[in-house]
Amino acid sequence: MMSAVMEQRPSAMQRATEGDADSFAMLIDPLLNPAYRLAAVMLSDRMAAEDAVQEASVKAWRNLRQLRGDEGSLRAWFLSIVANECRMTRRRRWWSVVKSAEVESERRTDLPSREALADLRRALARLSPDERLPLVLYFYLDLPLDEVARTLRVTQSAAKSRIYRAARRLRSDLILEEVS
Amino acid sequence: MSQNFRRDLNREFDAISGSPSPALSARVRAALAENRPARTGPFWMAGLAAGLIAAIVVGVLVVASFNRHQTSVLPGTAPTPSTTPSSNPSPSPSPAQTPPDSNLPAFVCAGPVSLVGTGSPTVAFVDAVRTGTHSGYDRMTIEFNNGEPGRVDMSPHDGTTFTQGASGQQVTISGSTGLLVIIHGSDEHTAYGGSTDIKTAYSVLLELRQVEDFEGTVQWGLGLSKTACYRAFYLTNPARLVIDIQNS
Repeated sequence: MMSAVMEQRPSAMQRATEGDADSFAMLIDPLLNPAYRLAAVMLSDRMAAEDAVQEASVKAWRNLRQLRGDEGSLRAWFLSIVANECRMTRRRRWWSVVKSAEVESERRTDLPSREALADLRRALARLSPDERLPLVLYFYLDLPLDEVARTLRVTQSAAKSRIYRAARRLRSDLILEEVS
Repeated sequence: MSQNFRRDLNREFDAISGSPSPALSARVRAALAENRPARTGPFWMAGLAAGLIAAIVVGVLVVASFNRHQTSVLPGTAPTPSTTPSSNPSPSPSPAQTPPDSNLPAFVCAGPVSLVGTGSPTVAFVDAVRTGTHSGYDRMTIEFNNGEPGRVDMSPHDGTTFTQGASGQQVTISGSTGLLVIIHGSDEHTAYGGSTDIKTAYSVLLELRQVEDFEGTVQWGLGLSKTACYRAFYLTNPARLVIDIQNS
C-alpha cells in the first residue's frame, strides 16, 4: 500500500515542470557550484559568473519542458544553458580577453614548478572561452565524455577532438590517446 | 593524460573561479520565485515571439553600442572614483564589466547621492531590472537600452511608505526603512515588461517597488530591513545603473 502511494507522488522534476519553483530550485541546487565554476572560467569574472548562473537558472526553468522530464540529462542541459549565457554576456559586454590581473592576488607562490605553471597560465589565457569550455567540463568538472558531448551539443568524437585540440594548446606533447 | 597536467590545470581553474558566494543558492531561488514561467500558448508562438524579441534586442544592442560614454558623479555627493573602463588603464582591451571593488565609489551612510550621465538621450528606456545579493552588499541593477538617464537622485527615506508619483496614493513595502531612487529623463513602460514589485529573500534589500513612471520620471522605492550604507554608479555596454546596499 505504501509503495503504491509512493509511486503516485509526482517527482521533483514533474513538480518543477508544472511550475513549482521550489522543486526546480532543489533540482538545480547541486548544479550551481559546477555551473558557477564553468561560468567563472569562461568569463574570468566571478561576479559576472554569478549573474550568468542566475540568468541561466531562470532561462532553464522557463524552458524546462524542453527536457521532457528527462532528469538524467538535466546537468548537461543546464550547463549548456550556462555556457550559452556566458557567450551572451561576453557579446553584450564586448569582452575578449582574460583578466588575469584579477585573479593574481589569490595565486599561491610557493608551488614547486612555478615556471611551468606560469607557462600554463599564459597558454590558458590565450584560449578563447569556447576553447576553455571543453577543458572545464572534462578536466575541472570531471564530466564523462558523453556528458561533455551533450553539453557541447556535439558527438562524442567531436567532443574528444575539442578537448584534445584545446589541451594541445596548453601542452604541445599531448597525444590523442591521453584524452580517453 | 598526465595527472600532473590535470592537477595543474585544475589548480589554475581554481585560481580563476574561487568558490561561489554562499548566497548564490538563495539568490537563484529568489530569481526563480520572481520569474515564474509562462504556461500559455503553443510552442511555435513562443518561438516566434522569442525570435522577434531576439531581433529587437540585437537591434537595441547595436544602437546601444554606439552610445558608450563616460559618466560623472555630481561633486560633493559621493566619493567619485570612476567606474568606467576607459578611465582605468589596463592592458586588456575589454571594456564594460563590473570593475574591481577598489574602483567603486565608497559606500555613503547618510544623505543623498546623485549621478549625472553624459551624452544622455532625451529619454533613457529601462529594459531590465535585476536584483542580486553578494558578499557585503545587496544589489539592484537597472538596465537602459539606449544610454544612461540624464540624472539620478537617491536618498534615504523615513519608513517604507512611498507616495506614488502619478496617483498620489501611498504604498507601503517590506522593511523598516527605505531608499528612494528618482531617475530623471527615463521611461519604464516602453521597453520594460518585467515586475514592478520585486520581493527578495536578501538580508537587507527586501522589496523594490516602482512608485512612479510618469512624464519622463521613474521612481523606485526600496524597502530595507535596517538603515544601511549604499553606493551607486553606472556600468556601460549596456548602460546600467547599479545600486549596492551594504548588508554586513
